[in-house]
Amino acid sequence: MTDVAISGVGMTDFESESDRRLLELAAVAAERALADSHHDSDEVTSIHVGNALTEALGTGTGIGNALVSELGMEGVAVDRVENTSATGASACHRGIQAVGSDQSEVALVVGVEKMSVAETQEVTDAISQLVHDREYAQGLTLPSFAGLAAGAYLDRYDAPREALGAVAAKNHRNGLANEFAQFQKEITVEEALSSPVVADPLRLYDCCPMTDGAAAAVVSEDGPVDVAAATSATGTHAVAERRDPLEIDSVRTAGERAFEAAGLTPKEIDFACIHDAFTILELLELEELGFYDAGTAWEAALDGETAVDGEFPVNPGGGLKARGHPLGATGLSQIVEVVWQLRGEASADRQVPEADTGLAINVAGFGNNSVCTVIRA
Amino acid sequence: MTGVRVDEAFRCEQCGATWYYDKHHCPVCASHEYGTTELDRGEVLSRTTVEMTPPDVRSPNDLALVRFGDVQLIAQLADDGVSTGDTVEFAGEYRLREGDDKTRPRLRKVTQ
Ligand SMILES: [Zn+2]
Repeated sequence: MTDVAISGVGMTDFESESDRRLLELAAVAAERALADSHHDSDEVTSIHVGNALTEALGTGTGIGNALVSELGMEGVAVDRVENTSATGASACHRGIQAVGSDQSEVALVVGVEKMSVAETQEVTDAISQLVHDREYAQGLTLPSFAGLAAGAYLDRYDAPREALGAVAAKNHRNGLANEFAQFQKEITVEEALSSPVVADPLRLYDCCPMTDGAAAAVVSEDGPVDVAAATSATGTHAVAERRDPLEIDSVRTAGERAFEAAGLTPKEIDFACIHDAFTILELLELEELGFYDAGTAWEAALDGETAVDGEFPVNPGGGLKARGHPLGATGLSQIVEVVWQLRGEASADRQVPEADTGLAINVAGFGNNSVCTVIRA
Repeated sequence: MTGVRVDEAFRCEQCGATWYYDKHHCPVCASHEYGTTELDRGEVLSRTTVEMTPPDVRSPNDLALVRFGDVQLIAQLADDGVSTGDTVEFAGEYRLREGDDKTRPRLRKVTQ
């Protein structure tokens, strides 16, 4: 495969409710990524658009083609990728594969979501339809799975609720240092622990918000940072089929494939952007990826090891928890953050010192599909 | 899941494997010949009470992840007096989501 680099990145502010239209959000992120790269828009040979919910929320179909015209780039090849909450990273991987296989010279990848166009309940319902029919019949939602996993985790490892609160507080602290984050507000562990219950033992501050926003990357053969691995793996559709409720096979397999492709071990990764749609997921994914042994990530969270100034910084950009979770854009925003960190361009309060290699994991549903990207300076 | 009841799993007629969530063929031997089998008693692996639920789902919604032999599933609990490690079975008639055309059982604790 041809060497693949990320030659430019950009994103919009992540907000609860953006004034911009869906296509405008995508176009702003695309322009910023192009301006950040050494490529002009007329060099772009393919565009890969990640968006999860436009049909469900009634904001139009065929958004790949619509975006091309919004950008005035008619003639370019375009496609659209959908992989629920991992849509953004999946779209980026299509661009990486296109360049890596010489099918495209300069790929522009854009992830976008505008969730504020519908009532919260309508969006929740659209998302809850990604579960299995027999799960849907029981009224199951993503927080239901997270609550069951969190209860099992705290129980098995005799971990305190404070460990989950510490993940939320840490990611909010990082979000405060990220001017693009939806929440730029510090919270205390106590506030997290006393917020309203969503799915016991998880509370409101254990859950990511709904977000409007877009993120983009320009992928080509040369640039300041290289793609060391871009892998993915699927898991069971029905969550209960997993023999152990604390295992997320898709994360583990995508991670193993990524480490093998990059020729690296977890110890050689300097920091990670983890899919913390729920605080418990940050702990489970860190363990599945081999950064921590099973049942130990909670101690690392409590001890501050995963803070920006800790041994292994996790979610320096604020994670889904504080940066926000616009489904189609989330995975790309993780990649944008990894690139900024590797170039030493993150704001001082969240910059990981001497970061040479970063990993991002973007997860669809509650582990239906996981998409892992390793990027090297 | 056409026709299959909440308290039933699928069972392969060739190899006897059981599973709960629909498969095009037996996950063990790939046979297309399978029927259903009633679930007896299961063990609660984890439980949660969901406070924020979709509009047509009760709130709070007590749920348990339960192992019935080789089959694992998540289903609604009839009441909140169930803990991890308890034995449960399907019983009673309830509407699991508002607007459901028929009633279905929920999980309740088995007291020996
Ligand atoms: Zn069989």
